[in-house]
Amino acid sequence: ISCRASVLDTADGSAYFEQGNTKVLVAVYGPREPRQKSLVPYDKALVNVEFNVAPFSTSERRKRSKNDKRLLEVAAFVKQTFESVIQTHVYPRSQINIYIQLLQHDGGTLEACINAATLALVDAGISMKDYVCACTAGFIDETPVLDLNFVEESSIETPDLTVAILPRTGKVALLQMESRLRSDKLEDVMDMAVSGCKSIHQKLDQAVMAAATDLSEKLGH
Amino acid sequence: MASLLVSPAEQDYITRGVEKGIRCDGRSNLDRRQVTLRTDMISQANGSARCRTGDLGLGTDVLVGIKAEVNTWQPGESEDQGSIVCSVECSPSAAQEFEGRGAEDLNVELTQLLDRILNGPQSGIDLRNLCIIPKQAYWVIHIDALVLDVKGSIVDTLMWATRAALLSTKLPRVVVETISDENGDTQAEFDVVDDPEDVAPLEGAENLPITVTFNQIGKRYVLDASEQEEAITQAKLTVAVSPQREICAVQKGGVLRGFPPSLVSEIMQTAQRVSQEELRQFDVLYAAARAEAERGGAEASTGSTFLNQF
Repeated sequence: ISCRASVLDTADGSAYFEQGNTKVLVAVYGPREPRQKSLVPYDKALVNVEFNVAPFSTSERRKRSKNDKRLLEVAAFVKQTFESVIQTHVYPRSQINIYIQLLQHDGGTLEACINAATLALVDAGISMKDYVCACTAGFIDETPVLDLNFVEESSIETPDLTVAILPRTGKVALLQMESRLRSDKLEDVMDMAVSGCKSIHQKLDQAVMAAATDLSEKLGH
Repeated sequence: MASLLVSPAEQDYITRGVEKGIRCDGRSNLDRRQVTLRTDMISQANGSARCRTGDLGLGTDVLVGIKAEVNTWQPGESEDQGSIVCSVECSPSAAQEFEGRGAEDLNVELTQLLDRILNGPQSGIDLRNLCIIPKQAYWVIHIDALVLDVKGSIVDTLMWATRAALLSTKLPRVVVETISDENGDTQAEFDVVDDPEDVAPLEGAENLPITVTFNQIGKRYVLDASEQEEAITQAKLTVAVSPQREICAVQKGGVLRGFPPSLVSEIMQTAQRVSQEELRQFDVLYAAARAEAERGGAEASTGSTFLNQF
């Protein structure tokens, strides 16, 4: 896993996150004046997420239209996750835009997007309750497995559980699962995913520290 | 492009500077910013390249991925040719206006420009080489460009990245067999060799043209305009020149006015001269990028895009 914050200049905050062969670039613009004033609630900020997949990102080239249901679903998940974490009452009547670009796809896209988006939001200076760290876990051959890649995910029998937690409180921000999993195994898989999240939290923290030290050096401290 | 507000005083300053041959960042009129080129960073693509003009975060950044697919021939298509399909997409991470459908006009314009340069004999790639079995199957080369950052001079960066990606493309080898039926009819069958080591480069890619874009500011013109210069540019001429010094494509863009004809012929001459230098510079950078990719091995596919100084 490697990540870096502040990679783009025009965006308020940006981050690049790499997990194995899955690479995600996120740009955050906000808080800004909203596009459609009618949609914005008077006491909160509106979080808008757009998810783009590059056509060369999967092994078979596939060009997705902007309204592809899969893409909209991922965007909706990210939006829900962050709406609960960003302190939206601090920015009433404004819009926060999160643009996610998937450069290479090798499993675990939702988790990579969430992690990258967390880093980008921190880089943009948007106040959040906590980091959001996500991790996938599955169950192959009676053993809980952490962080499935594309080949493992595509096999129909492997259940795939994505968990996003807020590390400090341990609360769960997002839980999504596909395929079947026996209910007695659920706890093991969850625990595995949560411990994965904790190690990701450390990585994200390091990246934020690195960006902050870099910035303070440039400012001459 | 991203809208930039330039005051009349700035405009005057830049225009006068250009007429004297000096630009805001110290370059002369025909100097390009520093170009960084990397290849082979997308492991699942047949070829890929990333080109950046300017520094990280402050330059125009384009990532190109090439994928080759086999298509079955449909009646009505040309019988012994493959095809090249281009697609350019501007990512919203480049500018706020590119969200949703905002970048559509720019995408279409760049796609059509790239298509015009590449599809046809002027590109140097003989489409007949892409045919596997006439009237049955042929290669389609999908060129997907992703614009990650825009700070002026997007066409040139796009063409550099595309050229590098096409030069580094490896097509899997195809074995064609002719099988005879009971009736004595012969049928040709092909098999794509699955070995990742058994690949051949794209023929004719060395003859690909390179583009040079000239922006007219005041009475003179500049190469590789920065964002500010593009905001005050009166007219823009893009010329694609091949290594054989032939002009492959010309496009005039720009919103304010037209070119006086004498300036057009002067620009064409300059384009031919400048493009040869650019090609030399491109070859140097490309060789360095390939050497790094080969040296890096697995390293080149991960981490070489954003994590290093790039």
